[in-house]
Amino acid sequence: MTDTAVSTSASTRPSRVETVSGPQSPGGGGRALAMALAPVFGVVGFLLLWQLLVAALHIPRYQLPAPWDIVRHLASDPGYYWTNGRRTAWEAFLGFGLALVIGVAGGALMAHSRFVDRALQPLAVLIQVTPIIAYAPAIVIWTGFGLKPVLILASLVCVVPFLLNSVTGLRAVDPSVLELARSVDASRREVFWRLRVPSALPYLFAAARISVGLALIGAVLGEFFSGVSKGLGYSVKFAQSRNISLQLWGSVFVLALIGSLATVAIGALERLLLRWHPSQHP
Amino acid sequence: MTVASTIVNDVRTQADTLVDVRGASKTFVRKGARTNALDGVDLSVRRGEFVSLLGPSGCGKSTLLRLVGGLLEFDAGIVLVDGQPPAASRRQKQFALVPQSPALLPWLTVRQNVGFLTKLNRGAEGHRTPDEKEVQALLAAVGLDQFGGAFPHELSGGMQQRVSLVRAFALGAPILLMDEPFAALDEITRAQMRYLLLELWERTGGTVLFVTHSIPEAIIVSDRVVVMAARPGRISAIEDIHLDRPRRDDMEDSAQFHGHVSRLRTLLRDSHDAEVQR
Repeated sequence: MTDTAVSTSASTRPSRVETVSGPQSPGGGGRALAMALAPVFGVVGFLLLWQLLVAALHIPRYQLPAPWDIVRHLASDPGYYWTNGRRTAWEAFLGFGLALVIGVAGGALMAHSRFVDRALQPLAVLIQVTPIIAYAPAIVIWTGFGLKPVLILASLVCVVPFLLNSVTGLRAVDPSVLELARSVDASRREVFWRLRVPSALPYLFAAARISVGLALIGAVLGEFFSGVSKGLGYSVKFAQSRNISLQLWGSVFVLALIGSLATVAIGALERLLLRWHPSQHP
Repeated sequence: MTVASTIVNDVRTQADTLVDVRGASKTFVRKGARTNALDGVDLSVRRGEFVSLLGPSGCGKSTLLRLVGGLLEFDAGIVLVDGQPPAASRRQKQFALVPQSPALLPWLTVRQNVGFLTKLNRGAEGHRTPDEKEVQALLAAVGLDQFGGAFPHELSGGMQQRVSLVRAFALGAPILLMDEPFAALDEITRAQMRYLLLELWERTGGTVLFVTHSIPEAIIVSDRVVVMAARPGRISAIEDIHLDRPRRDDMEDSAQFHGHVSRLRTLLRDSHDAEVQR
């Protein structure tokens, strides 16, 4: 980048070399519209292909319903999916929140002390590599039926991304900036809240994007094993036992919708809070 | 100079000394290898003086800067800043550090970055800090008054370094410690930055310790240039600069300037040759 705006005396007016917000979309309006709609094409194309294949191969509905049949089924009983979807979304949200709090608190401890870091790293790896589906029944037996095991499973499955990313993020402060803070004798608290936490934000958002899907997995899994009779996980289990493929797929569609909406919400929050970050200006 | 005037000068020097370094030594141990970063360094800097530390890489100039700023502990010797240990001065926010990289916070605007260090450890300083209007004037002096709301990523490298300079001056600290602040800039930008720095300094005053490895840069900004040599890091010579203030870029063509350049070049070469022979 050139730097022609330097003025060697105060009387010289600085000439503006760079506009503060760079204009984009060199290809004009049509291209911009196409780019904005691009994410929709993939999903719509996939659903169309599915619809056509089901019709062309004469697959019976009880084996694999076509997307349009699933949508019509959803529309026929919206109350059922609304109630159960809300339940599962709430469980996933609570599990996600718990994991966020525990992960960031643990990450802060790990970032603070090399010893704690070394002690907790293997534990984090263990949690991550052990298939949650294998120990889910054990957790239900330990904690009893109901909401408790669901929340434990949902938070357990997404705590590791928050933990590891917050350690990395809290440590990602430029050493020169840390030295500057030392040069004015900034307190540990100031360094943590004013330097480390903002530096960790992009890493936490990356963890959040991964954890949205994981929290839903945890919630559905919890409903499978914990004997609750509410939620989309329960709905899936029930539908499987009765061979109701429309209800099975309907539940899956609603789960996909919940995950997508949560991802969109996180993306919006990210754009708001990370305006300064390179990831937000391609 | 007469004997009497020398004595008067000595007395005044004693009273005016702000930074006093005596016999300072610092050794770094890394993977079993010991590096004698500084060996018995004596230096005194007067209040309001602009002193450059000039020397090759590894001569301990950054280490000396950090000892004075209370950012590093020394192994032997005495360092006093305004009569007290550097750590005490650091706690009173007496130092304004300008690092080599701009080290701006990417999530803060230019104006917020400039005020950032002032806000940390607020109230510890015994001196007055520039108010908002004065800070705005400092930004205007470096041509950035239009960019107060911009984020660092929207600025060029030279503009970012100007923000870093203003951030230091906005602290209102009596001592400015600058660690090769222009080293990462291109030569043209760098030459302009020297005069911007002087303009800010003439506006706010203060004592400056300025680390550089550029001979012309050291001459044009300084009252005195301290030449350092490496292995072990030490002061090999001190050159008084007799150019008038305020400094102007046409002084770089003067015979006096060229005289300083050739003397400093010889001093640097001599200490380098001595090192090679050892």
